[in-house]
Amino acid sequence: MKPLERYWFGDVALARPYLLLRFVLALLAFDTWLNMMPQGAKYGVGAFNVAHFPWFDTFIPSSAFYLGVLAFTGVLALSQALYRPHRIAIVLVAAGYTLGWSCSLLDSVPYHYLLTLYLVCFVFFPMLSARAAFSRSDRAPRGSIAPYVLFCVTTAIVYFYVAAWAAAEGQSYWLPMACCAAYLIASMQDRAELPALRMVAPVLMAAPVAFHLFAPQQGWLPIYMIGIAFVVFMPTPWIHSVGRTLTQPARSLVEGRSEEDGTDERAAQVFYMSLVGLVVAPMVSMFVDMPGVKTGCTLTAIAMLFVMGRQLYFTPRWRPVWRVASLFGGCLALWITVTTSTTRFDYYREGALDADRRGDHDAAMMFREKADRYAP
Amino acid sequence: MASSETEPPPAHPSPKARRRTGALIAAFVGLQFLIPLTYLTREDTGDERFTWRSLNAPTAPSCETSASLERFDGQREAISLQKLIHQDWVDYVGQGRRAVVDAFLRKQCEADGVLQVELVNRCDDERGTREYNLRCGGERAHETVRTATR
Repeated sequence: MKPLERYWFGDVALARPYLLLRFVLALLAFDTWLNMMPQGAKYGVGAFNVAHFPWFDTFIPSSAFYLGVLAFTGVLALSQALYRPHRIAIVLVAAGYTLGWSCSLLDSVPYHYLLTLYLVCFVFFPMLSARAAFSRSDRAPRGSIAPYVLFCVTTAIVYFYVAAWAAAEGQSYWLPMACCAAYLIASMQDRAELPALRMVAPVLMAAPVAFHLFAPQQGWLPIYMIGIAFVVFMPTPWIHSVGRTLTQPARSLVEGRSEEDGTDERAAQVFYMSLVGLVVAPMVSMFVDMPGVKTGCTLTAIAMLFVMGRQLYFTPRWRPVWRVASLFGGCLALWITVTTSTTRFDYYREGALDADRRGDHDAAMMFREKADRYAP
Repeated sequence: MASSETEPPPAHPSPKARRRTGALIAAFVGLQFLIPLTYLTREDTGDERFTWRSLNAPTAPSCETSASLERFDGQREAISLQKLIHQDWVDYVGQGRRAVVDAFLRKQCEADGVLQVELVNRCDDERGTREYNLRCGGERAHETVRTATR
């Protein structure tokens, strides 16, 4: 292999892509519900909108559309973090999330674009099971995973430009440039032929952690980037044992039962249980009381049906049931998050303030009634 | 190509797969390098999207904005932006974001009998006073800048 090929196709500890995918998807779900949904009342006001891309300009997203897309994206993302991700589902999460921010300039948060880039990388990640990533032995399994290296390079490019623009304006640029170099180096730390890197890489984690603790940033970007830094820079044995501990319940559940037990006679039961679950799970969203959320959750169930496809009827195993359970988990998490946070209150209060400003008293009264109902 | 189902640990790719993946990677990385550079060619310097110039929200202060429209019969009417669009859009217009200003002026032209629409941003800083004038039917407003004298 040529040196460049060795860089992209060298070995990576499988624990890293496994944990990275789940960490970002789970955080993204809560980020959409807690930080993006409260902004939903801005959408569709006065039938005016400017999208990020010109081909969207004729489309005016309503509040219900925006919240529905976010509910869909969040529930699907969390369900994929909870149980074996499926490539089609990751494509749908990437599409839903990108549609969510790109449909309007009202969402101009810089890291939402970064998350889209990450989701594109995730589409090509291997869809690893816990058993594949964390074998029973203490040796960390490794494999060639170019999309993981691409993920690290994508992060490095972001830091490179942060440093470059800072340098162009005469500001200090060494910290973001150190982050850029750290990510380029850390992507190679699991290679047997580079033992020295294993010693250096964990120390390099200090650069991104310091940058995100001290530089001003918007929203949850520091949480994403510090979490990502832990997964990328942590020494291989540590990340392997963290992953083994986190996945212990899931692995023991799967390893405890043979994949092949209970075959044809149980297929019908599994099929009907899964179908009932797919119908019932979105009903949880009826208690959320925000426009578009019911539709978003129903679409997630339909997407899950599409993702499971033939598996639903032709796989005489428990896999479809776990998948439906993960959908249930996503819908329940949405309901609990929205009802225990100020998401609904913030949404209705913002709507009331804006309607007041525009002199739309009927809408303001409707929004204010709901805001009063959900006031913390 | 990996299947969409759960997979065993990935094997080392064949030379053909490496070439194919390499081309995709080159395109993706190339785009990521080029997109931030488009800032250098942007007419609207307030538009920092996709450039990584800041990891924070843009904080350009909004200017005092007034808008008016002229009808075919010569009558002029003031437009209250706050009553028509969300405050976030009013802030964008006040910051002089061209895409939003143009879209707002085009939107006002959709009303019956409107000949032209005018919007004025008065800033206390180096941006000075900017007038945007759109003759209905046109796509892009004509911009006039009067820099503040200090």
